[in-house]
Amino acid sequence: MNGAHWQGRWDPFRELQREMGRLLEGLDPFQPLRNVRQYPPINVYDAGDGYVLSAQLPGHAPEDVELSITGETLTMRGERKRPEGVKDDSYRRQERPVGRWARTITLPDRVDSAQVAASFTNGILTVNLPKAESAKPRHIAVTAGT
Amino acid sequence: MKINGPSIRVAVGAQPAGPAGPAAPPEPNPESPAAINPPIDIHDGPDGLTLEADLPGATEENLFIQLEDNVLSLHARIQPPAPEGARLLHEEYRVGDYYRSFILSDEVDRDRITAEMRNGVLRLILPRADRARTRRIEIRS
Repeated sequence: MNGAHWQGRWDPFRELQREMGRLLEGLDPFQPLRNVRQYPPINVYDAGDGYVLSAQLPGHAPEDVELSITGETLTMRGERKRPEGVKDDSYRRQERPVGRWARTITLPDRVDSAQVAASFTNGILTVNLPKAESAKPRHIAVTAGT
Repeated sequence: MKINGPSIRVAVGAQPAGPAGPAAPPEPNPESPAAINPPIDIHDGPDGLTLEADLPGATEENLFIQLEDNVLSLHARIQPPAPEGARLLHEEYRVGDYYRSFILSDEVDRDRITAEMRNGVLRLILPRADRARTRRIEIRS
């Protein structure tokens, strides 16, 4: 039995999200990621000052994950190792994926790639992608006309 | 995937949906009707079974494991990971509580079940009860 099946399961929420994505297509800088089911699954948030990318990587230690940025390309790669000393035929049930994985994400040009920072807690990788100065919302003061 | 051996059974309705078919109705759970069914592994060892569940985002503090009659249930409450006011742009996984339950047979020594959380994975050790261990029986001539 091998556990290397990264494909996600059918998920009505994802379908809904996809529909929503179609409506918001013009506004969504991460649009090219849609419709692709890859490992690890990621969510992306707009937190005002920056984007927050979170990836579900249970069973990984921080040293099992490698993160690099080249230009506008963010690459994540890693490996989830099989537990040592557990024979294949001793599995009664195996639903959790194992093996090597890699994923490449093209960042919107509005990200300041020099300031990207990442943390790893409880099996979730969080990557903070600050927006470039020019992409931050600006407050424009309105002065009364004379 | 076949499950043989008497020690543990996975409760009916707890299986995840296949890749092609629609999702099975979620496990009824009064506390959290939209809970996520986490993927698990169960493997056999000389002293009993090990059950591992992927619960990314869960911690020891927000994980509840309950054994009632012969039903072992796990429930993890998950806090939204994004900062307050953040807008979701792209979603490939749903953030929510995890819930799954299992039926234990009498062959598990309930008093010695142990659990640990590490990097978002729960590992439950379900030791075999003494009387269920394999014993060699001498045959006298």
